Amino acid sequence: MHNSAHLPCDQILQTLVLFIDHELPSEQEYQSYMTHFQECADCNEEMLHESTAVAFLKELLQMNCNEQAPQELHDRILQQTEELAGQSQVQFFSSSTTITNFTFDGTTSIQVTQEFTQEIRHDFNEEQ
Amino acid sequence: MGVALAVMDINQSEVAVVDRATESAAQKKARFERDALQYTNQLYAAAMRYTKNPQDAQDLVQDTYAKAFVAFHQFEPGTNLKAWLYRILTTTFINTYRKDQRRPQISDGELEDWQIYDAASHTSDQGRSAEDVALDGIVDVDVKAALAAMPEDFRMAVYLADVEGFSYKEIADIVGVPSGTVMSRLHRGRKLLRSSLAEYAKDRGFNRGSDA
Repeated sequence: MHNSAHLPCDQILQTLVLFIDHELPSEQEYQSYMTHFQECADCNEEMLHESTAVAFLKELLQMNCNEQAPQELHDRILQQTEELAGQSQVQFFSSSTTITNFTFDGTTSIQVTQEFTQEIRHDFNEEQ
Repeated sequence: MGVALAVMDINQSEVAVVDRATESAAQKKARFERDALQYTNQLYAAAMRYTKNPQDAQDLVQDTYAKAFVAFHQFEPGTNLKAWLYRILTTTFINTYRKDQRRPQISDGELEDWQIYDAASHTSDQGRSAEDVALDGIVDVDVKAALAAMPEDFRMAVYLADVEGFSYKEIADIVGVPSGTVMSRLHRGRKLLRSSLAEYAKDRGFNRGSDA
């Protein structure tokens, strides 16, 4: 072990995931890692090993997680959009309805919409 | 009207120039159908990871599009529509579908400390776990089952990063946690997934130990 290029091995290894995911905050930092890898065979090997494993995992996941939505869902969404658009022209929002604002704390619900989507599901199933 | 729409279509491709203040309801609907609905398949695959069953996944995607349509005037054209839809999907899942499940939650406090990275020293060749050797042998193990068995927070982080290719920052916005937490969940989620995939492979006799 040595301290080449200012960055000690343990620091490199602890933050290796940032390097692999291209999440280092600056190009300069990226270059420091590259310099370290050029000078430190052990870290370089660890980086290559981890990069390969992550790339392999991504490939495996992407191959396996690609379901197509059933046609029924596409149809339901189109129908829902039509009906929501129709409603919005006759003042979909009454003054008592909270307009959605997507924040992180979960204040995103639209009661009208929730009930409405269930109605469409219901209608749709009856039509089948 | 037809002409106006056609002109709007040209203007909006890629570099969107949309005046949401003057946009008609019909124009908004057309823009929504063209720009947002193309993600239905992707959102459905993500919803399958979240809910783990096709019926809930369909309902979740439908609810997501209902909310997205109603809130579409709030979406800033030219910004990341896919990430915006994923945020609605994820928030809807967390608020609606997950509530009933009473699943054991992972405490976030436990995750904030990403320094726990356990590879703080070089791994010897021998020490390099059998897990990775086995990983080479995985072809048709049930990746979905391995994912489904993971704690939800890890599963979402891994899915959003490694299947959808979102950045830490984007995932942080989608899930509503700090970037550091995303990194921790992603890192630990991948490790967990790797070792459980290795288990699958071993169980099915794919472990090509002699090649190591």
